[in-house]
Amino acid sequence: MDISYYKEQLEAKEDMLARTTEFLGQMQNTLTEKNRHLSEMQERISDSINFAKMIQTSLLPDIEILKIFFKDADYKILQQIGIGGDTIFIKNTGSGIVFCLLDATGHGIPGAMLSISGSLILNDITTSIEIDNPAVLLKLLNYRLHKTFNKNRYSIAHFEGTAFYYSSKNNMLHYSSAKGKVFLLNSKGEVISLGKNIASIGENPNTQFERFGLPIQKGEKILLFSDGLTDQFGGEYNKRFTVLRLKQLLSKHFDKSVSELKEIIYQAHIEWKGNNEQTDDISFKLIEF
Amino acid sequence: MTNTPQNQYEFRVIFNDEYSTITYNEQLSIAVCKADVEYIPINEFKRIFLFVSEFIETSNIHHFVFDKKALRTFHQPSMEWYFAIWKPSLRAKGLVNHYKILPDVAWFAKAVEAGRYEIFQKYGQDILEGITITYVKSVEEVVEKLEKR
Repeated sequence: MDISYYKEQLEAKEDMLARTTEFLGQMQNTLTEKNRHLSEMQERISDSINFAKMIQTSLLPDIEILKIFFKDADYKILQQIGIGGDTIFIKNTGSGIVFCLLDATGHGIPGAMLSISGSLILNDITTSIEIDNPAVLLKLLNYRLHKTFNKNRYSIAHFEGTAFYYSSKNNMLHYSSAKGKVFLLNSKGEVISLGKNIASIGENPNTQFERFGLPIQKGEKILLFSDGLTDQFGGEYNKRFTVLRLKQLLSKHFDKSVSELKEIIYQAHIEWKGNNEQTDDISFKLIEF
Repeated sequence: MTNTPQNQYEFRVIFNDEYSTITYNEQLSIAVCKADVEYIPINEFKRIFLFVSEFIETSNIHHFVFDKKALRTFHQPSMEWYFAIWKPSLRAKGLVNHYKILPDVAWFAKAVEAGRYEIFQKYGQDILEGITITYVKSVEEVVEKLEKR
């Protein structure tokens, strides 16, 4: 190769360097612009979710209503992204009290829309007629939900949960379940899973919900919870928390107060979750008779 | 000699100068242009590739590998001619499957990306319509792909 070859190569190298540098600069500018746009979008979405959270939270009932009827009560809701599909409903009917824990299909924005709709429908039903049968409440909710959302053959709006009615007149707790999760903790530390229907709410307008009656004893507690609590992945081997682990936890701490139990369950969840993301919306409600 | 897929086939040398070597296998309808130096001046570059343009008139070439492993200078005007003139003219002659082997240096790949970006900006994305460009690590990889067809 003669000197002209190397001269030409050097010029080509300089040209290559200049073009590549310019290209990288353009890419850098493009990335900076995209990053700025993403940050703006994230901020707008975050603001929107925070405001939606305020709206959803404002619809939650006052726990003090339950304390009129029971020795103690408390609940906790941990929506996966601040808003979500888990909700609590409480209504003093005059003759007694109606309360529910509902878990809507999905989570995030669609879950929140469904849970708000569910709360409003429940409020409408319990304002229109005096409910003393939780199975009737679920039947009406099921019908209204199906009529509102499932206009075609595709069923998009479902809830799982349990509805309760209690009147201090007869000391009986009546409940009706639609795949709801409920444990009764008795004074011996036994944890009993309460019966449940296999159909969810909103699935079929003709679903019949069964009513169960439970004579309650002083000092007994019930825990209503959504499956987000037991389905949370974590622990040493990244497994689900499971119903069994929750039962063991409750059995160990059955004699604790409602507020202590609430904290114990919450801390167990946090510890189990560790650095994992929250798997689903989580809610639980504790009542002591 | 190891028994690689490539040397199971006879690759006949059809062109050789101080800058490059072109080999051909009729069975696979493949030609391989291997750069032998760090830099190929544009006139030599054109001469090498115009040889392929002539060779394809009398031979079947459906797959073309450009082995740039030895190159250390990406010359934009050469690449522009290669993309905008040579490849479309060979497409008209039935050669649409191109394979590239880049040197194992990150900055060269970035220079190629910058060059391609500039060419697409100038001529539009459809300049290579109907042409498939696949980046590979070796000629053996291309031969294996063709054997599986």
